[in-house]
Amino acid sequence: MSAPRGPPAPLGPPTEPAVPTEHRLRTHARAAGIFLVLALLLSGVVYPLAVSAVAELLVPGSAGGSLLRCPNGTVVGSVDIAQNLSAGTLGPSLFWARPSLTDYNTTLGAAVPPGPSDPALGRLLNETIDYMRLYGNLSVNATVPFWYAAPSASSVDPDLVPEAVLVQVPRVAQENNLSVAEVLALVNAHISSPPLPYLGESFVNVLELDMALLSLVGKC
Amino acid sequence: MAFALQSLWDVLVLLGVVLAVAPWFGRYVGKVYLERPVAGDSLLLPLERAVYRLLGTSPRRPMRAGEYMVAVLFVNGGTFAFLFLFFLLQHALPLDPTGAPGMPWDLAFHSAASFTTNTDFTHFVNESQLSLGSAMIAWQLALFLSAATGLSVAAAMIRGFVRKDGRLGNFYVDLTRSITRILLPVAVLGALVFVALGVPETLVAAVRAHPLTGGTQTIYLGPVASFQAISLLGTNGGGYYTANAASPLANPSSASLLLGTFLMLLVPFSTPFAFGTMVRRRAEAWPFVAVIVLIVAIAVGLFVAYQAAANPLLGGIPGLGPSTNGYPVGQETRWSLPETAFFQVVSVYNNVGANSMQIGAISPIAQLVLLFGMFTQATPGGDGTGFAMLLVFTVLAIYVGGLMVGRTPEYLGKKIGTSQVRWAALALILHPALILVPFSIAVVGGWVSVGGASIGVTAHTFSSVLYEFASESANNGSALSSNAFNDTTPYFNVVGGLVMLLGRFVPIYVMLRVGGYFAGEATLPQGPGTLNTATGTFAVYLALFVVVVTALVFLPVMALGPLAQIVGVG
Repeated sequence: MSAPRGPPAPLGPPTEPAVPTEHRLRTHARAAGIFLVLALLLSGVVYPLAVSAVAELLVPGSAGGSLLRCPNGTVVGSVDIAQNLSAGTLGPSLFWARPSLTDYNTTLGAAVPPGPSDPALGRLLNETIDYMRLYGNLSVNATVPFWYAAPSASSVDPDLVPEAVLVQVPRVAQENNLSVAEVLALVNAHISSPPLPYLGESFVNVLELDMALLSLVGKC
Repeated sequence: MAFALQSLWDVLVLLGVVLAVAPWFGRYVGKVYLERPVAGDSLLLPLERAVYRLLGTSPRRPMRAGEYMVAVLFVNGGTFAFLFLFFLLQHALPLDPTGAPGMPWDLAFHSAASFTTNTDFTHFVNESQLSLGSAMIAWQLALFLSAATGLSVAAAMIRGFVRKDGRLGNFYVDLTRSITRILLPVAVLGALVFVALGVPETLVAAVRAHPLTGGTQTIYLGPVASFQAISLLGTNGGGYYTANAASPLANPSSASLLLGTFLMLLVPFSTPFAFGTMVRRRAEAWPFVAVIVLIVAIAVGLFVAYQAAANPLLGGIPGLGPSTNGYPVGQETRWSLPETAFFQVVSVYNNVGANSMQIGAISPIAQLVLLFGMFTQATPGGDGTGFAMLLVFTVLAIYVGGLMVGRTPEYLGKKIGTSQVRWAALALILHPALILVPFSIAVVGGWVSVGGASIGVTAHTFSSVLYEFASESANNGSALSSNAFNDTTPYFNVVGGLVMLLGRFVPIYVMLRVGGYFAGEATLPQGPGTLNTATGTFAVYLALFVVVVTALVFLPVMALGPLAQIVGVG
């Protein structure tokens, strides 16, 4: 089979070969249709299923959304998704996550915080700080870490900077009838430091910390 | 406010790794499109030949620009129609376990146009408005095909500089090999590493959880790792979740963030080297790499500097502490400022559009930095089309430069004629036209609304609407602020969809036409009058040309939006 290649075109704009347009269009429609079916099978079926299968072989358990369970088997949440930890009767005794513009409702997706020049930003931060003072039992002079008061990008940021956990320690110790030293030890054990210096930041996963706290006081 | 300077190290290491891998990967990509022997041939060549036979096409039947465009339109038109119908009817199709309703026609139109054009701008909330099947079957098809289309078009245009028969190659062959040789293998590897780093990969769409303090919470899952891998590698940028790459499930750690950045950088940074291999002059890659690295580095530097600064308007809030890691509003705790800023800038400059932060909440100067990347759309731009756009800029730059120094404008031995320049100028003018015309109509015509009521336009709203159309015309897909105005109205869905389609396929036609003209020309011998383009001088000239032309076109509108906001913030 030799290549049916035409003679070199002269200088200037190329001219189309003398094949009837209608015939070429039908050929292309057929080729494109078959290609789409093949690509659909590859991208929508083979690719995700193959990745799932290989992942299950190589790293079993990693692919399920990092769910956290109580000893009785109830799914409490995902280690990667923050939840409203200040609500209900248990709320005052738990460490709280960053505030959420969607009220931790994952069905709403993620909300955009007010822009830097928007007056709503100052109002929002003031309200959050007041809430933490009033219900979080903070002293009037206490400083709320900016990372604790500011709304996150995902609306469900599960992590807190260590300073934001430390301001909550007195309240949590008091509500759980634990000593500050006991709670501090628990917090220190849950600070994730970067595996290499400055590969990411030091942070505490609040839900994991609270689960550990609850198992300490026997409530989960 | 501040950040630790030492936290820059992992970003610099990553850039070094990309620059070390790009020449090697670029040569591989070049060989793939030259159909030279590469690793994997024994396994994949028979498969590819079987596909060609099924399609009734052959690598030995190269197409001219017009026919190549027809093939592009058939494949992409088919993708668009399939996506449109799938989204319209997703409630009646299989794989809708979370009960997502069918999309209204205008939203389905916008979404189908968005995914087909490599834009992946979303006007919906993924968690409640998109079914598992829509994401995995329909959207994921477009993630592969739009990236493969961009790569194929770039390969075709590049062939214009070496071929002399007026032909650019066979689109179906290019498309097939883009998927089997480049996108699929890297995406599989990337997805597996994502899973190892904790990203979900399951067919379970959602799990009901019972939070500690009562109530219920839905944990949305799915084949997230495989989706994120091709979305970032293909410079699509659509996120499996509404929070996109800021979602802690899709992007749980610094390692996953850096892997995502690597996937976004890989193809656009390798394409200049693929070009060097394809035109058999490897040194010609370096001016392009220099331009890209220079512009991205300046952008990241500015972005980090302004995100590290305090917001002066928040000085009066009693009890608000300082931050040692940049500006926390709309940012995630687990990342350092340089990491998340590098991801964000690369995402916009590579026309990916994935967000690691809420860019509606960031400093106005940082927003301006992002806008500039979408205005050039070529530094480095999306897979394939970004580099092809840089070639369009290069053709114009050489033509203008040649006129200034009195030399015959030619590039790689091919004469740059008025036909090429006329088409190249069209691509350059189209971009501002597609942004500014619908933007002006929206602002002046009262189409900008919040909650159904038309609103007065502040500097922030102005920036948001401008960003919307810039993102759509550049096929970027990031959005500035969804709460500044309601973007799900028929006006923004229909006009936005048209802007994306025109902003994708008109430039692609221009790239093919320009390549076609070059392919029809004989190669001139190098003489004393030949402009040497593989030099540092040329790289600086090209960088300045791109920046100055872009600034001239867009400065007035930048002054009204982001610059006015900067003056307001102080």
